[in-house]
Amino acid sequence: MTMQVQHGGHVAAASSRGGWMGGEDLAAMVVFGLLAAIPLVTSGYAVYILPQYMLLGLLAMSLVILWGYGGIVSFGQAAFFAIGAYAMGLVMKHAALPINSAYLGILAGVAGAALVSLLIGHFLFSAGVRSTYFVVATLALSIIVEQTVKSFSDITGGWNGLYVDRMTLTLGPLVQLSLFDDMPMYYTVLAVVVPIYVAVAALMRARFGKIVVGIRENEDRMLALGFNVPAYKTLAFGLSGLLAGLAGALYATHASFAHPSNAGVLFSTQVVIWVAIGGRHSLLGAFAGAIVVASLSNYLSSIEAIQEYWPLVQGLVFIAVIVLFRNGLAGVVESLFGKKRHGRAA
Amino acid sequence: MAALLRTEGLTKHFRGLVAVEDLSFALAKGEVRCVIGPNGSGKTTFISMISGHVEPTAGRIWFKEREITRLSVVRRAQVGIGRKFQTPSVFEGLSALQNLELAGLRLAKPRAERMRASESILETIRLVEQRDTPAQFLSHGQRQWLEIGLLLANEVELLLLDEPTAGMTAEETAATGQLVQHLAADRSLSVIIIEHDINFIRELKAPITILHLGRLLREGSYDEIAEDAQVRQVYLGTTGHA
Repeated sequence: MTMQVQHGGHVAAASSRGGWMGGEDLAAMVVFGLLAAIPLVTSGYAVYILPQYMLLGLLAMSLVILWGYGGIVSFGQAAFFAIGAYAMGLVMKHAALPINSAYLGILAGVAGAALVSLLIGHFLFSAGVRSTYFVVATLALSIIVEQTVKSFSDITGGWNGLYVDRMTLTLGPLVQLSLFDDMPMYYTVLAVVVPIYVAVAALMRARFGKIVVGIRENEDRMLALGFNVPAYKTLAFGLSGLLAGLAGALYATHASFAHPSNAGVLFSTQVVIWVAIGGRHSLLGAFAGAIVVASLSNYLSSIEAIQEYWPLVQGLVFIAVIVLFRNGLAGVVESLFGKKRHGRAA
Repeated sequence: MAALLRTEGLTKHFRGLVAVEDLSFALAKGEVRCVIGPNGSGKTTFISMISGHVEPTAGRIWFKEREITRLSVVRRAQVGIGRKFQTPSVFEGLSALQNLELAGLRLAKPRAERMRASESILETIRLVEQRDTPAQFLSHGQRQWLEIGLLLANEVELLLLDEPTAGMTAEETAATGQLVQHLAADRSLSVIIIEHDINFIRELKAPITILHLGRLLREGSYDEIAEDAQVRQVYLGTTGHA
C-alpha cells in the first residue's frame, strides 16, 4: 500500500499514529508467522530451543515498557525472571493439589514478581528516585535475589540449581496435554507470547502508554499538569516485573531448570543489550533482538575459535548500536520502510 | 466577591536571603494581573509558591476558598492551577497536537471530545499549521504558546505565566497579549503574568502589582503606576519616559 500525500494537503489519517511508536503490526505478523511456520518445516534443535528464546524475547519486551516508553533503565529484570522461575519450580515440586500445580506455579511466579516490583517501584518512585539512582537500586535487586537463592540452598538447591518438571496443560476436566515433547511446548509458548505482545502493544498505544511516554519526554511537565507520575511509573514497573516473572516461570519449565544465574547482574545486562540491539522503542524489535542475539550467542559460543571472543564482540556491537543506531534494528528497519508509511507533506 | 486566589503574609526565605516577605495578594475570577519588579524582587518565587514548586517559610494560600498551602504540585494542578515555566516546558518529541492530547488525558473525557478540544486549542494558540510538527522544531515563541495550550487542554482555571513573551518578536508579543485577553474575557480564566516588556504590559491594560525586594510596593493601573514617583525610582528609572 502506498500513500500519496499532495503537497499542502491534510494528513490527519497518515499522522495520527506517528510518534506513539505504533505501526509495526505488519512486521509483527511476519515475525510471528515465521515462528509459527518453523516447526512445520524443521524439527530437532530449533524447535527445542526457540521457545526459550521467545521467552527471553518476552523478558526483553518487559524492559521496553520501562526503558523504551518510560525512559527508565532497569538492571533488575533478571531478578523478576528468577522469582518467576523459582516460584514455578518450588510450587511444582511441593504442591500436592487437586488442581494443576503448574498453573499455580505460574500464578505464584507472576504474582510474586509483580508484587515485588510494585513494592519496590512504589517506594523508589514515590521517594523521587530517578535515573542513575534507580539503575543502581535495580542492580542491587538482582544481586539480592541471586544471593538469596544461593543462600537458601536446602530449598533452592543453591549453586546446583533447581530441577523443574515440564508442565502439563489441563484443558478441561478430562483433557490433559503434556508439554514434555518439544512441538506442543513450542506452540504453547507461542500461544502465550503472541497475545501478550498484542495486548501490551495495545496498552502502550492507549492512554496508559501515552502517559508513560509523556513522563519520558518531560517528567516535571507531567507533574505540573497534575499527573500522578510516581503511580504511573510504579504501574509500568509492576507490569514489567509481571511479564518478566511470567517469562521466568515458563522458561524454568521449558529448560527443566532454575539457576541462581537467572537472577544475576550478568543476565540482567544481557537483557539491556538485547533491547538496545533490537530497538528500545519497539516491543517487536526487542523481542526479535533477544531471539537473534541469543541464537547467535548460542551458535558462536559453540565454535571453539570464537568462543572466548564472543562476549567481547557482543560488547562492541552493543557500543556500536548505542553510538550509531540509537533505535536499534527496529530503527534501521523503520528507516528503510518507514518513509512510505509516514509520507507527509512538509 | 470572594477571590479565586488569595495569599496572606506569604513569606519565603532562602537561608538568610529574603525572597518574598509578608505578601498579601488577591485575584478575582476572570482577572488578569501583571506582576512586575526588578530582578530579584521575588516574582518567580511568588509564582512558585502558588504552583507548589516552592514551599513558603510562612503565610497561607487559598484557592477557591480552600487552603492549598501544603498541597503538592500534582494536587494543585488537579484543583486547577497551571504554570507556564520561564523556559518553555513542553513534550519536545511529540507533535503540537499530541502535546495537547496528552495534557488532556488527565481529564476523564471521551476521546472524541478530547480531540475536538485539542483542535480548538490549536486555533486559539495559532498552531493549526504546525499541528503535526514535533515541538522541538517549533520556534521559541510557538513553544511558549504550546505550553499555554497544554494548560488549556488540562482545563486549569488559573494560569501562572512566567515571562510568556520572552524570546518573541514584536508581532508574536502582540498576539500573546490578545491571547491572554481572550482567555480572561471569553473563557473567564484568571491569569497572573510575570513580565519585563513594558509595552506588552501597557497594551494589556491589566491591573499591575509591583514587587520590590520581596515586598508589595504598589498595586494599580498602568497609568497610576507610571505616575508614582517611588515606582519610577525603583523600577522604571527616575528620568525615563514610561
